[in-house]
Amino acid sequence: MRGMNGVGESLRESAVFNFDGAVTMVIDDSPFSLELTAQALLGFGMKVRHACESAAGAIAILQNHPVDLILVDCEMPGMSGYEFVRWLRRSGLDPNAYSPVIMTAAHVRRSKVSDARDCGANFLITKPFSAGVLLERIVWVSRDNRPFLEVGDYFGPDRRFRNEPWPGPERRAEERRRTAFEKERRAAVEL
Amino acid sequence: MTVITHNRRRSRLSTLVDQPGGVSVGVALTEARANLARYESRSREIIEQQVTALAALPVPTGVDEGALDQAYAHASAVIDAAGPFELNDLCAAAANLCDLIDAAPEDRPFDWRVVTVHAQALRLLLTLPPEAVDARAKVLDSLKDMLKAKVPGSGEPEA
Repeated sequence: MRGMNGVGESLRESAVFNFDGAVTMVIDDSPFSLELTAQALLGFGMKVRHACESAAGAIAILQNHPVDLILVDCEMPGMSGYEFVRWLRRSGLDPNAYSPVIMTAAHVRRSKVSDARDCGANFLITKPFSAGVLLERIVWVSRDNRPFLEVGDYFGPDRRFRNEPWPGPERRAEERRRTAFEKERRAAVEL
Repeated sequence: MTVITHNRRRSRLSTLVDQPGGVSVGVALTEARANLARYESRSREIIEQQVTALAALPVPTGVDEGALDQAYAHASAVIDAAGPFELNDLCAAAANLCDLIDAAPEDRPFDWRVVTVHAQALRLLLTLPPEAVDARAKVLDSLKDMLKAKVPGSGEPEA
């Protein structure tokens, strides 16, 4: 499975960003992989505050410490990355439940594709990825202004990346109410 | 289905990213690549260990999900270690094995020769010099052919 690539634009070499002071958490059961991620982040000026080798360790920290960015591996023994993100979004922890989450995966099993889509992460990056791709995605999630949606058992950022008009009839009650309201308002103004 | 929209507050990260100071993308990437370069030799050691472990897995008798999970874990670990260093052919070979294991039939034993061949291919890719572009491509092509043969439709581009 591909990651949710193609939504970000390449960063200009001269573009400036500042993540100094960002509280970052990396969760990965592989100590070497965790170290590689931490070293890349350090290059971006982000010191990893919480390095966790399991979701359980991360959960204990998240109960009491606000975190600005979470990078989590998908496949981990015990609680997987998907289960962790689903827990986080439903945790009610403020502000952590809304923190940007980037998932990383060496490979996504077919049976996990829907989990990857529905767990509530902001982005999934599949390996191999370069430092450039990682930075691009971090900058992207920092500017990700999608609203959070609660739909069935999903809680997380709006999964629709595109905002193109639907050619068919509008069936969303909220949109229909908004359209009706706008129509009434315009009619009142014209009177 | 009911949809509840939570209008999102700005995350602290979105506030930080545009604050004064900071670094340019060019400087950050140079720094990150320099940091990662220090781990390249360790990365190769880990890849070699994982390939050795993959090759040493005993051939299971019958349907054995545990053995497949182990092989999958070794292949994933190769991708983890090789990923940041642009060892793309190693990643592609390991991902090919992950795809094959992922598509393993549940009702009959997995053809373990697939694992053996991938372990040999990974070992070969590790020993081939970087300039042996054609030889590397041939190794990868043969693995991709195996995937196409075992998992119909796998060679088609994703929608």
